[in-house]
Amino acid sequence: MLEHLIDPAAPQVPVMVQGATGRAARQHIKLMLRHGTNIVAGISPKAGGEVQDGVPIFATCADAVAATGARVTLPMVPPMSVLPAAREALEAGVRLIVTVTEGMPVRDAMHLHALIREHGAEWTGASSPGLAVPGRCKLGFLPDACLAPGPIALWSKSGTLSYETALRLKSRGLGQSAWIGVGGDAIKGTRFADLVPLFRDHAPTRAVVIVGEIGGTEEEDLAARLSQEPLGKPVYAILAGSAAPEGKTMGHAGAIVSGGKGTFESKAEALQSAGVHVFRAIPPLVDRVAQDLQKETA
Amino acid sequence: MPEPTGDGPWVVKAQVPVGGRGMAGGVRVVQGRAGLEEAANDICALTIKGFPVRELRIEEAVPEAQELYFGLVLDPATAEVVVMASAEGGVEIEAQAETAIHRRRTRPELTSLSEALSEVAGALPANAARAVTEAGAHLIAAWLDLDATLIELNPLFLRADGSWIAGDVRMDVDEGALPRQPGLTALLDDRADAYPEAIFKRDNGFDLVVVDPEGEIGLVTTGAGLSMQLIDEMTARGLKPYNFCDIRSGGMRGDPARLVENIRRVLEGPNLNCILVNIFAGITELGEFAGLLLKALDELGEVPVPLVVRLVGNGQDQADAILRSSGRNLILERDLDRAIALCAAPEVADA
Repeated sequence: MLEHLIDPAAPQVPVMVQGATGRAARQHIKLMLRHGTNIVAGISPKAGGEVQDGVPIFATCADAVAATGARVTLPMVPPMSVLPAAREALEAGVRLIVTVTEGMPVRDAMHLHALIREHGAEWTGASSPGLAVPGRCKLGFLPDACLAPGPIALWSKSGTLSYETALRLKSRGLGQSAWIGVGGDAIKGTRFADLVPLFRDHAPTRAVVIVGEIGGTEEEDLAARLSQEPLGKPVYAILAGSAAPEGKTMGHAGAIVSGGKGTFESKAEALQSAGVHVFRAIPPLVDRVAQDLQKETA
Repeated sequence: MPEPTGDGPWVVKAQVPVGGRGMAGGVRVVQGRAGLEEAANDICALTIKGFPVRELRIEEAVPEAQELYFGLVLDPATAEVVVMASAEGGVEIEAQAETAIHRRRTRPELTSLSEALSEVAGALPANAARAVTEAGAHLIAAWLDLDATLIELNPLFLRADGSWIAGDVRMDVDEGALPRQPGLTALLDDRADAYPEAIFKRDNGFDLVVVDPEGEIGLVTTGAGLSMQLIDEMTARGLKPYNFCDIRSGGMRGDPARLVENIRRVLEGPNLNCILVNIFAGITELGEFAGLLLKALDELGEVPVPLVVRLVGNGQDQADAILRSSGRNLILERDLDRAIALCAAPEVADA
C-alpha cells in the first residue's frame, strides 16, 4: 500500500481517520483535505452519522470500510488506545496504518507488529510525524510550509528536524518526491531499510535524504541493506545527537545511547561505508545536495 | 554507615542508572570492615557518565562461584524479544565470542518466552542450565508484568553446590507504559532523585534533560530531533548548551505553564548567559505562542539573561509583531544559523 501511495500514476487511496472529532484531529483533517488527501471517513463511536467538515463520521471501522472502501487509516487517539484502534481497523480490512501518536507502550507496539504480519498489512509508526507525496496527499502532521513537489525522497525519524531540513532544501528549489516519517520509537512498523526496494524504481526520486538520530540500529541496518542492494541514486544523511550524553533518553523513546551502542560514530561509519554522504549539520548537507543535483541537471 | 551482614569480603556498588559502573570505579571488593568506609566515600565522590553517586549497595561477595549470564532484550528489526544465556558471564560479556552466548528470538508472550528459555538453557551444562531456567522464569514473569524493555542478569552466580544467586541485574522499563503500572509509578515517586527526567516528563508533559550543568545557553525548543541537532551544532561551534528540550508546543493548549517551567529550570544553570527560544511550528499557531511567551515572562518577573527568539511557521509575522510591540528586550531572528551565532554574543546584538 505504501508503494501504491507514492506511485504518481496510481489513483488516490481512500483514507479514514480514527478519533476524528478530537481537537487536533479535526484541525489536521482540514489541513490534509486542503492538501488533496482523499479522506473518505472519520471514526468516532459517539458521533456516528454526523458529517464534520464534509467528512462523514462512522461509529465503527467496519461501518466506514463497508460504506467508503477506506484502505488506509490514521488513528489520532491517545497512546493507550492506539493498539485497540489499530486492531479494529485491521479487522475491518484496512491495509495501511499510520500512527502519529507519541508514547505508545513498547509492548503494544510489539503486539501491533505481530498483528500487522498476521494480516499481511503495513504499519508506519509509532510516533510517525506523517507521510506525504507533496501536491497529492499527506497523512499526519507534516507542515504545508515545508511541502513542495520535487526530486528528494525524505526518510525521517524526527518530525521537527526533517521540517527544518525540508524547508531549507525547498528554499533552494528542491522539494520532495515523497516524505516518509518512520518515527523515533524503538519498535516500529516501516523501517529505513524497508524503504530501499520501494524507492529504487521510484521515477520521481533523484536522491534520498535520511534524517536519522542516535539510538537503535536502524541506520546501521539501512547501511547493510544499501550495501547489498544499492539504490542507484545518491543518498545523504543528517544524524542528530552526536553531542548527546550516554544513558539519557533524548525525547524520542528510541533516541538513547546505551552500553556504547547506537552512537553517532557507529551510524556514520556504517552509512559511509555504504556510500552515503553523512553530515552533522544541516547547512553543509543542503549545499551538497543542491550542488550535486544541479550538476546532474547541467 | 550501617553494619553490613556477614564477615566479608564485601562488594561496594554505586547505584546509578547506567552501564559500565565497574569500569568507572563504581564497584569495589573490600576484604575487611576497616576498608568499607573508605571505599564508600571514594565511590560516593564519583559521577559516572553524568550520574552523581547518591546511593550504594554493600553486599557479601560471592566467593568461588561461576559467573553466568541471562538477558532479555528487544529486537527492533523483528519487534520480538531475544532470550540470551551464557555460561561465561561477568563484566567482559560484551567481549564474548558470539558462540558463547546462546540466543532465541521469540514473541513477547509467556508460552513462547518459556520455550525459548528452555532452548537456551538446554545449550548450557546441566548445573548452569538449572540456574538459568529457574532465574529466567522469574525474569520472564517480571518482563511481562512490568512492561520491561531490557533485563540483564549479570552475573548470575552459580555456586559449587548448584545453588544460584543473582549478582546484579539491570532492568529498563517502558515509560510509555507507566499509566498502567501503579507499582512502578510509586517507585518513581519514592526515588524521584534517581529519575529526574522521567519525573519531570510525567509532571510537566514535556522533556527537559540537563546535558551540561556548566552550560551557558538554555534551550526552549520544540521537537526532539531538532533540539538534539541544535545541541550538536552549538557544541561543534564551541558553545555550551545547558539542556535538551522538547516542549511540545502543539500541546500547550493556551497555557503558559510549560514555558514558565522550562525557563525557570534553565535559569537554575549557574553559568547561564542566554536563552534560545526556537519554535518551528508545523502545528502551533505562532501568534498564540508569542502571547504565551509574554505571559510566561510576566509570570517569571525578572529574567536575568537575554532571550534570542526564533519563530518560524504558521503566523510568524503576527508573532513577531506581538513580540516587538511588547516593549520587552527580545532578540528576534528567523535564520537558525544567525540565531545560534547571536547566542554566542547576545550582548553585542542587544546593543
